[in-house]
Amino acid sequence: MKSRKWSLLGGSAVVVGVVVYLFVTGMRDTMVYYFTVGEVLAKEGKIGKGARVNGHVVPGTIHKDVMNLRLEFGITDGKQTLPVVYRGITPDTFKEGAEVVVEGKYDQAGKTFQAHTLLAKCPTKYEAESSASRTPSNSGKTSY
Amino acid sequence: MIDLGQYALILAFVFACYGIGSALVSVRVRSPRLLASSENALLSVTVCLAVAAAVLMRALVTHDFRLEYAAGYTSLALPLRYTLTAFWGGQKGSLLLWSILLAIFSSVVVLQNHRKNRELMPFVGATLLSVQLFFLVLMLFAAPVFEKLPIPPADGRGLNPLLQNYWMMIHPPMLYLGFVGFSVPFAFAIAALASGRLDALWIKTTRRWTLLAWSFLGIGLLLGGRWAYEELGWGGYWAWDPVENASLMPWLTGTAFLHSVMIQEKKGMLKIWNMVLILLTFWLTIFGTFLTRSGIITSVHAFAQTPLIGQLFILFLTLVTVVSLALLFKRLPLLRSENKLESLVSRESSFLFNNVLFVGIAFAVLWGTIFPVLSEWVRGVKITVGAPFFNRVNMPIALALLALSGVGPLIAWRKASWRELKRNFRTPVVIAVVAMCSLVAFGIRHVLSLLFFGSCAFVTATVFLEFYRGARARQSMMREAFVPALVRLTAKNKRRYGGFVVHLGMALIFVGIAGSSFFKVEKEATLSLGQLMHLGPYEIRYEGIQAFRDPNKDFVKATLSVSREGLPQGQLVPERHFYVTSEQPTTEVALRSTFKEDLYAILVGWDAQSKAAVFKLYLNPLVQWIWYGGGLLALGTLICMLPRQLLVKSQRQASKRETEHVA
Repeated sequence: MKSRKWSLLGGSAVVVGVVVYLFVTGMRDTMVYYFTVGEVLAKEGKIGKGARVNGHVVPGTIHKDVMNLRLEFGITDGKQTLPVVYRGITPDTFKEGAEVVVEGKYDQAGKTFQAHTLLAKCPTKYEAESSASRTPSNSGKTSY
Repeated sequence: MIDLGQYALILAFVFACYGIGSALVSVRVRSPRLLASSENALLSVTVCLAVAAAVLMRALVTHDFRLEYAAGYTSLALPLRYTLTAFWGGQKGSLLLWSILLAIFSSVVVLQNHRKNRELMPFVGATLLSVQLFFLVLMLFAAPVFEKLPIPPADGRGLNPLLQNYWMMIHPPMLYLGFVGFSVPFAFAIAALASGRLDALWIKTTRRWTLLAWSFLGIGLLLGGRWAYEELGWGGYWAWDPVENASLMPWLTGTAFLHSVMIQEKKGMLKIWNMVLILLTFWLTIFGTFLTRSGIITSVHAFAQTPLIGQLFILFLTLVTVVSLALLFKRLPLLRSENKLESLVSRESSFLFNNVLFVGIAFAVLWGTIFPVLSEWVRGVKITVGAPFFNRVNMPIALALLALSGVGPLIAWRKASWRELKRNFRTPVVIAVVAMCSLVAFGIRHVLSLLFFGSCAFVTATVFLEFYRGARARQSMMREAFVPALVRLTAKNKRRYGGFVVHLGMALIFVGIAGSSFFKVEKEATLSLGQLMHLGPYEIRYEGIQAFRDPNKDFVKATLSVSREGLPQGQLVPERHFYVTSEQPTTEVALRSTFKEDLYAILVGWDAQSKAAVFKLYLNPLVQWIWYGGGLLALGTLICMLPRQLLVKSQRQASKRETEHVA
């Protein structure tokens, strides 16, 4: 009876242990810091391997090169502006004044943020349409 | 007319308050008449909400733009089907949908239990009405659905073009049916705790409800994936977005609950655990709604909302937590297990592992979803974990669960013997190994995918083998032909064999997930007119581009011709739409879907002068399997839920026919 109990406990402990291990390593390897425009500029780009930054697209800063899938724009937190270069498909909701989230690295030489992911939210129109609605803005990055 | 809707809501609010009060007092004073009166109040709430829903529907259909909601989500040019579905196109309307569904479910529960479960019913009614009350408060004070505009506009703003999609018409109601459905087992659980009737009665009474809610939620999730896949144009169907996660979490804990209740019914074990699971599942349905409504998760989904909604949600969630836990602790001594686990290798323990893993996934999803909020709170830095986290953690757990879904049903209760194990699992294991070896022979070297495909083969083999063995046994015992034996076998053990069909569906879904996650090919290309590109085994030629216009929108179509090894395979025509009422363009995906793979094309941009265009193309293997798996999921649940009478009747007819035939 006792040995059975122990083997059961052992079995459960192994399962829980594996789940915890997956958790810890998963967290460690996939964490991305979230910064504001001001924080990125204050740290002069010393923001580690990757970061997410959110802000609003500054009107008049968008330069779009559709043929080469290259997009340049500035994002602002209301005070400062961070120039962003993004390569990939522009989300449908991207436009002047839209709230966006970019993910990528800060290029210290070029003083620009090199984004590989761009998520955009339409500030005026897009309201919750259902509890399970998705954004239209899953950009070029794909994941399952 | 619009005012009528508002009055109906107010009246529903009054009835709900009275219903809760009278139900609780009826327990105190032991008055069946008062209980009956409270149940009538519950039915009246439903009538009021039906009136409110009718008023909203009428305003939408007649383009009554005095109603703010109609002006905000419909327009004169909107096709009728989308005008109808605009009912749940916005926040306020979807709250009303939730409310009316809950009211209908509650009424059915009351009518079903008209003579049964009288000790439980006062608490069931009071719980359901309390949930209803919360939604009524939201609609009356925080998100007034019948708000009027002082100056009605000539035309409405129209429905978001992204929601003008077939799948989006049915996806939200499905999901809501699932969410709302879990209120019923939750109400019975609370009633069991409150009344002290803690045997398996509450579980048995709500078995069908739980199954129904679970399957609607599952189908809702799949439909949402299908919508994302066809409409959002990023080549995938699942992004681990907070909004998706919000509806996945209750499905996961609900699945755990569906499994663990069987242990309570059969062995009287895991009573506390089951309580916790259903309370948690309900809590997660509300929490999920809160996540998507309040904007606490800073994602692109952070909808602009009045803070009041968020505060009300937090209040309600706290209330649910406190009441649930208080009742649970009060009854803890009565929730003792009647049996002990006897062996590590038994049906019981396989259920236990199943539960640990399901809750593990649910927790991982929750953790990843709320981590940005938590980390900002605790450490002042906002840290996000994205899709890679969810995939890394959940893929191995999902693999274990998948394999377990093959093992669990065939393993004996109490303690499995080595001989049985060998007899049951030899063939499926051989089949799985053969499947994996042949995939390796075909050149697949991706280990995790091999494990997934192998497990799917294993599960499939166990399911077919089990049907075959059962039918064979019946055939020899009852002297029936194989097919009738198969049908009757299923009819006699609906839950077992329906469950097998569900497992088979899950195996198919995982074939699709593994195929499309691990073997997806994507390519961006700038093509000039007539230029050729290659993607996997396909050659794709850019044939031309044209602009069109209709009253609702301007649109551009690009034509790609597809061939494979020199054989033409038809055309792909990706489009971009520019709706008149909306400022943003939308991407219309071109999809060529086969059993083996989906060819998926998006028109990214073009140069009006040279007519050169930029495309993004995906080759997504096996995606179709996910949708077929979803079909099996629905079928399996349906088998589990078939009413007994129907089966007995059809069986009697069949045997009658047979005797006639023999005579």
